[in-house]
Amino acid sequence: MTAATTIELPIGMSSAADARADERALVVAAQRGSSEAFARLVRLHQRRAYAVCRAIVSTHEDAEDAVQEGFLHAYKALDRFLPDQPFGAWLYRIMANASLDLVRRRKVRDADELPETVPIPFRDPGESDELRRRLSEALTRLTDRQRSVIVLHDVEGFTHGEIGGMLGIPEGTARSDLHHARAALRRILKDVRSDL
Amino acid sequence: MTDMRLFPNDDDEVVRGLRSLYAAPAGDAYWNELEARIMARVADVELDWWTELDRWIRPALAAAAVLLVAAGVAMFRAHETEADIAADTMLSSPAVPVSTAIRPALQDDREARIRFLFGR
Repeated sequence: MTAATTIELPIGMSSAADARADERALVVAAQRGSSEAFARLVRLHQRRAYAVCRAIVSTHEDAEDAVQEGFLHAYKALDRFLPDQPFGAWLYRIMANASLDLVRRRKVRDADELPETVPIPFRDPGESDELRRRLSEALTRLTDRQRSVIVLHDVEGFTHGEIGGMLGIPEGTARSDLHHARAALRRILKDVRSDL
Repeated sequence: MTDMRLFPNDDDEVVRGLRSLYAAPAGDAYWNELEARIMARVADVELDWWTELDRWIRPALAAAAVLLVAAGVAMFRAHETEADIAADTMLSSPAVPVSTAIRPALQDDREARIRFLFGR
């Protein structure tokens, strides 16, 4: 993918089928070297990509890094993508892999160094609610995978199959992880909720 | 059917809490900036590709020139060897007999002249 060629890019989207066709046209144009088309794909998917990464890594900053890495990997691998496949599923799997890589790197780094600061999850400036604070604490007590599964399912609305595909685990494992994560969260929050 | 909600009684509150914890930053400015950062990194990849190509192009051209010269020398030598072999073949071929070297017509003239002189 080098010099951009003159390619007709879709302008608007009216229905799901049109959106799919438009996305396919963008993918094909990006594969032919149009950086404008790739920028449009970034614009279309970056929020959802961020949500996937954010569910896996522990901070907003790491999610940003993972999103950038993920898009870079996607750009480099774009030639190998078959345009008839759903682009989103392919992209989110790359995002999940980039996030898992980052988590692994952080673990190696943290094992080598003494932690100076505890990573603080990104919060909206208006966040002051006690439940959310304690919920945040409770989430840190789940395993990485349980936390990812519960956020991807209950917050982002991905199916068990999609989550399994992204995290590289069987659908049944994603389902059981979700069950255990919910049970753990219920248990942890039980006391908190009675205090509130 | 199993109740798939996180907290069947007050599910909304906890899920709302989770959503606010994991909320993506709001505001187009943030996303525009992130998109710009991603595209800048993509442009770097393109640049790296060209830089890499540029880095390899000189050695590649030099190697191609060396190969061309070597091929030229090899062809010249092959041609020279062919010419030598042809010359050797010519020189080493058996000599043509004298009798066949003299034109039969000339031989006939000479005989006729001798017969004429002695026949007188």
